[in-house]
Amino acid sequence: MMENSNPMIKITNVHKVFNKKLHVLCGIDLEVNSGETIVILGPSGSGKSTLLRCINLLEEPTAGSIEVDGTIIHAGENSKQRDAQILDIRKKTGMCFQSFNLFPHMTVLENIIEGPVTVLKQQKNEAIPYAEELLDWVGLTEKRDEHPSRLSGGQQQRVAIARSLAMKPAVMLFDEPTSALDPELIGEVVDVMERLAKEGMTIIAVTHEMHFARDVADRVLIMEQGVWLEEGTPEQIFSHPKHQRTRQFLTHILQ
Amino acid sequence: MENTTTDQQTPIILSRIPPEAEATLHGIEVKKTRYRRNLIIAFAVLITLMVATLIIIGLDFKFMIKWVPFILTGIGYTLLVSFLAISLACFLSVAGALGRLSLNPVLNSIATSYVSLVRGTPLLVQVYMWYIALPQIGKSLEDLGITGVQALFTLPAIPAGILALGVCYGAYMTETVRAGIQSIKIGQIEAAKALGMTNSQAMRRIIFPQAVRVIIPPVSNEFIAMIKDSSLVSLMGVWELSFRAIKIGRRHFQSLEMLIMVAMIYWVMCFILQLVQEKIETHMARGDRGTS
Ligand SMILES: Nc1ncnc2c1ncn2[C@@H]1O[C@H](COP(=O)(O)OP(=O)(O)OP(=O)(O)O)[C@@H](O)[C@H]1O
Ligand SMILES: [Mg+2]
Repeated sequence: MMENSNPMIKITNVHKVFNKKLHVLCGIDLEVNSGETIVILGPSGSGKSTLLRCINLLEEPTAGSIEVDGTIIHAGENSKQRDAQILDIRKKTGMCFQSFNLFPHMTVLENIIEGPVTVLKQQKNEAIPYAEELLDWVGLTEKRDEHPSRLSGGQQQRVAIARSLAMKPAVMLFDEPTSALDPELIGEVVDVMERLAKEGMTIIAVTHEMHFARDVADRVLIMEQGVWLEEGTPEQIFSHPKHQRTRQFLTHILQ
Repeated sequence: MENTTTDQQTPIILSRIPPEAEATLHGIEVKKTRYRRNLIIAFAVLITLMVATLIIIGLDFKFMIKWVPFILTGIGYTLLVSFLAISLACFLSVAGALGRLSLNPVLNSIATSYVSLVRGTPLLVQVYMWYIALPQIGKSLEDLGITGVQALFTLPAIPAGILALGVCYGAYMTETVRAGIQSIKIGQIEAAKALGMTNSQAMRRIIFPQAVRVIIPPVSNEFIAMIKDSSLVSLMGVWELSFRAIKIGRRHFQSLEMLIMVAMIYWVMCFILQLVQEKIETHMARGDRGTS
């Protein structure tokens, strides 16, 4: 705590139990500094998605506390301001889903300004210039007035990233953003994520894109059965893993 | 889904089609035309047979035509009652569905009992409840010392009919609306929440607009059914379509003519509404594709 006085994200002893007995997260700690890029790896079912979803409270942690950019939520607490604090954390946290989840009844531009207009109460014409800037940034200016169903998966995911960024979040969470994509479309999404990391966004990504984990991440964490198995720089994890289990897992996914 | 794009590409595709395939395509086209022709013939024969039967059993067409204008004036009441009742039903069904999905025990139990009670009792009984039984409740309350309730609870026939139909259809439609809301993928709600929306913002901006597309077709079916069920208000002496027909039929001992006529009028109305419904549905399907 002393050496990291102001981490952007601070997760302390988080547990998550589903249906009274499925213990998915077993006391997770994690601190992420502003501008850091974290990649989480781990076998299927180890709890990676659950952890990400606990960070923006889509899932209520059963125990522990979550702190994002100065807003703190303790599990099981019932206070007046809690709901407002949860909304506050969600506003500061962008999330990208595996299945994009764009709003099908809105155009690309409407998708992007939806957050600023509905949540931040901006005027439409206030929100549009920044939305257009973001569209340009993800390279989809010409799709401005299309509906999501007319876009490829890669394009949809880039719009979803722009939609999150429109809220000017302090943190971006990615939950396997490329695993629903055809191989030839993965690159364009990873490229956007990489530029985001370079521009100093704080990122936690669950992804099996080895290029991103190896060359973009500052730190890589391996999760197994709800606990951290190993953590280190990409160099340490990929070249000199300490645990036998890490080695097994890495050879498995690198095949 | 891809209708529009194939339409545009048709000429290009045709130019590449080999002659033997052309023959097959032509064969399919011929079959389709033949089917359409036979269908029209079948319908024509059916209608001729029906008309012939009506003539054979000796219907008094002159009598029917004479009373057409009088009976048609009842359409006003039928449509008035149906429109107001379906509007009430729409309102109640949205409120009911939100109640059914609510985690608030009070709202949830009210909505659940409403649906269960109304769906578990005959519409006929409900109509009488609103018209005859409600004033009695008013009287009992008045006796308990609440003044002015009896007058409030004694409803004229048309408002009673609108309430009866609206409340009843609202219960059935509650389940339709609820199913529509639940058909929206969980990912949509999560995406909305991840942006920081409150539950009601997510409902208003994301869930409901998508659910409406699912809900509209069954609701237009309900409306068509409502047009027919509105004949129940004749029980309370409202001079709507069927009441007029039955009255005249009885008075002149020519019920058959009147009933057949009024049945035809309902049929035509519902037929028109069906066409409107199809229009709305194709229109919405276009919006879905996002080509607008
Ligand atoms: N809402 C839920 N209710 C009950 N169990 C759940 C729920 N969500 C997740 N789980 C369970 O929690 C465990 C961890 O799930 P999670 O999705 O976090 O794993 P993951 O590491 O993201 O796996 P994957 O790589 O397959 O995405 C799984 O056993 C899953 O079945
Ligand atoms: Mg997952």
